[in-house]
Order: sequence, then C-alpha cells, then structure tokens
Amino acid sequence: MSLTKVLSDALESGINQIGQLRILRDPLRLHHIDDRDLDSLELHTDPDDAREIGLYTPDGGYRFTKGELSLKTGWIFELGSVEDLRRTIDLFYPASLGLWNAWKNDQIQIQNLRDKLNRQTGMYRHARNISDEGAQELVRCLCGPSNKCVKKILWKIDDENPLEDSEASRFNGLVGDVDESTAIPMVCQEACNFFVAQARKKSKEEFEAKDQ
Amino acid sequence: MEFTPKPNTALLIVGHGSTENPDSSTPYFDHAREIRRRNVFGEVHCCFWKEEPSMREALYMIDADEVYVVPDFISEGYFTQDVIPRELGLTGPTTQVHGKTVHYCDPVGIHPSMTSLILQRTDEVAPGVPQEESTLFIVGHGTGLNKNSTKAIKDQVDHIKTLPNCRFADVIDTYMEEPPFIADWGKLAKTPNAVVVPFFIADGLHSYQDIPVMLGFEKEEGLAASQKEVFRRNPYHLQGKTLYYSAAIGTEPMMADVILDQISTFDAQHVAH
Repeated sequence: MSLTKVLSDALESGINQIGQLRILRDPLRLHHIDDRDLDSLELHTDPDDAREIGLYTPDGGYRFTKGELSLKTGWIFELGSVEDLRRTIDLFYPASLGLWNAWKNDQIQIQNLRDKLNRQTGMYRHARNISDEGAQELVRCLCGPSNKCVKKILWKIDDENPLEDSEASRFNGLVGDVDESTAIPMVCQEACNFFVAQARKKSKEEFEAKDQ
Repeated sequence: MEFTPKPNTALLIVGHGSTENPDSSTPYFDHAREIRRRNVFGEVHCCFWKEEPSMREALYMIDADEVYVVPDFISEGYFTQDVIPRELGLTGPTTQVHGKTVHYCDPVGIHPSMTSLILQRTDEVAPGVPQEESTLFIVGHGTGLNKNSTKAIKDQVDHIKTLPNCRFADVIDTYMEEPPFIADWGKLAKTPNAVVVPFFIADGLHSYQDIPVMLGFEKEEGLAASQKEVFRRNPYHLQGKTLYYSAAIGTEPMMADVILDQISTFDAQHVAH
C-alpha cells in the first residue's frame, strides 16, 4: 500500500497530529499545534515551502535535526491532496511517515547503537570506542523532549544492553498530552549523525581521561 | 539527451548536507523540485550524509519497487565508493534492497554534460568578455588523501580545451589545498581577464569565503559568509587583471539535466531494454 493511502486511511481513522504539526481535514490544512487563530497565519499552498519554514528555529538557529522541538509558528498550509500533505510532512519531518508505517507493521530494520558506530569510517570511526556508560549518558543528554528531540527511540546500545530508564528512553514520540489514537508517533530507527558526532567527542574525552 | 519518463520508478538524490550550513542542502532540493516539475519520475526524494533523512531512512519514504540513486557529488571518492554503498546496502550497479531494485549511478560531477554547464556559467558571469583574452579557472578542493578528487576537474579541463567552440586562451584546473593553487591565479593567468568557476555542488564556506580570500578580494574576517555578495560584485580588479567570479557550479538549475543524463547513461550501460 502506498504511503499516501496509509496517510489517507490514518486521517479517516481520526489521526490529526504528528510532531508539532496539526492536520485538519475538509479542506486539508496543516499548521503548528501551538497556533490558535488560524486566520492570522501566513498561507502556503506549495509543499516545498515546508523545507524553508522548518530550516530555522524561531530565533534564527539552524534546525539540522528535524525532530527538534523548535518548529516555528505562524504559518498554515492549504493542500490540494493527501499526496501534497505527505510531501509537506516529509519536508518537515523527513521519512517520518514511512518509518512509522514500517514500525507499526513490524517491518522496520532497527539499528542498535553499536551497529551504527561500528560501521562508521573516516573521521567518525573513533566514535565506536565510546563506553556503554558514556553512550547511556549521551542518550540522557541529547535525546528526548527535554533535549528538544521528539522521537521515540527504538534502538538499544546492543542486543544485550537496552537503554537505561530515563525520560528520553521512555518517550513515546508524541508531542503534548495527546490521545495515542489521534497522533502519529515519530520514531528513531537509528542514532542520528548528530549523536554519532557527539559519540566521537565523548569517546575522545574518555580516552584522554584514561590517559591522565 | 532526451529522457524517457519512468512513472513507476523513484529517484533518490544523495547529497552531503551539513550540520552547520543551512544553505548546503538547498541545491539538492532545487534539483529534486525541478525534476519533479518535469514529471518524469513517480517519486523524487533527497537524502543526506549529514542531514535528515539519512540514507537508511530514505528507503522508507519510497513506494516504488525500482529506485535510481544518483550521488549529487562532484567526484568519485570516499562518499560515492564507500559511504553511500555501505549506508544503502549496495553491492554493485543494481542491488536488491529490502525488496526494492536499486540502481546506483555515477556521481553527477563526472558526467560529460557538466562541461556545457561550466561554459554556460562562464557566459553568464562574464558576458561579452572576449574569451581569447581570458583564462578559465576551474577550482576544486583538492586533497592529498584521494587522487580521484581532482580527476573530475582535470577531465573537464582536458575536455573543454578540445572543444571547437572554446576560445579561452587557457583553461586551468586549480585547487584550494594542492598545486596548482587558486591563490596563484594572478601568476597562472597570462591574459588580462580571468573567469573563476568553483567546482562544488553547494555554495558554502569554500565558495563564499575561502576561495574569495585566496583570490584576494575578501578578507578572512567580516560578514557571515552567506551574507557576502561575492558573486554579485563582478568584476574584481586585482593584480592588474579583471576577474569574474561565479557561484558553485552545482547551484546551476541545469544540474537537473545532468542528473537525468547520468540515469540515461546508467541505463545505456547496465539495463537491458
């Protein structure tokens, strides 16, 4: 089944949110969940505009991690089709619909952290030397809504080492206090490249600390 | 080259991306938008090494059972030969990945049709400037780590020199980090005019700041790189010569054609019809 059909069926079943996005039907619209007065919002009709809106935080910072809880407000999309809605969502939250669909159908290939780090080459190959404790600490410091990431983590450190209990490891991928039947969770199938870069830094710190 | 539409197939454009420069991925999205507008693929997506979606995530976005992967990279090297195949699970020109047939094309930068883009760019940046009195510099990064990184540029220079309609007095490949250095352009150019084209996909620190500093018309400190209108202040009068400086070649809208050309070339070489 195409992802457009999957999204269409989800809307029929009452889904109206993903991340910080609110989806409205008849007509099909998309806006930030924190915006209330819809008439005051800047109107967009081209899905491609979503990339530019999602590129910067409200204070002008670069949002290179798209799951970051920092989407700016003040805009609304009016879209002609579910296909356009799918493209708009994919520009705000890349691959989020496909990952969610694969996860709920048990077809997702989860990459544990060690698998991800062990396949790094070049300047990131040293990231694999991070300790399990160091990796657990990074999850607590980088992931989850307190650290502004709104994705539900699916991976473990490795098959034998699940993530330690924390707000980040418990997070369900839904923003705000919403009914699970009305929102699409954002899922994290493998650690992002920002995490890998931080693992490299942490691994270097651990190496230097041992040396002293 | 005429492109045969593939309405049941997806195109996946792979770029580098950046965690520091928001402009870095703009050309890839521009190329995707242009190809989508032409309606020649059922789906057109982008994915990145440093941004989202990652290469592994990208396959989940695609409905089609057949996918063409085009590295929107300037040369063969570490990313096209190591990183992209590893991340996408590719083992050859065509690989079955999670039930999809994935075709892996060569990077855009090594396609012969890049030549016409360079020449078009020189016409735009230095209109009416006599080529007989001009030297064309194509600038790459250059690194001692990978000989392939300069090959694409050397090939372009060799090709341009043989073209009957090329009237440039000289065409020279130059680099930021290995000789011949772009910083020596004043000595290398024997003509009153120089036209400089950065051979990069995106405009970033290299084309906004590093190369302008090496050319001598920008200081190392000053405005944020992206706020410098280095491409809009042509010409520059330096070292007794007149210099015309272009934006990175990958920002050219016609790059969409090169992507499609690379797919046609793949089909001609690998796909039986």
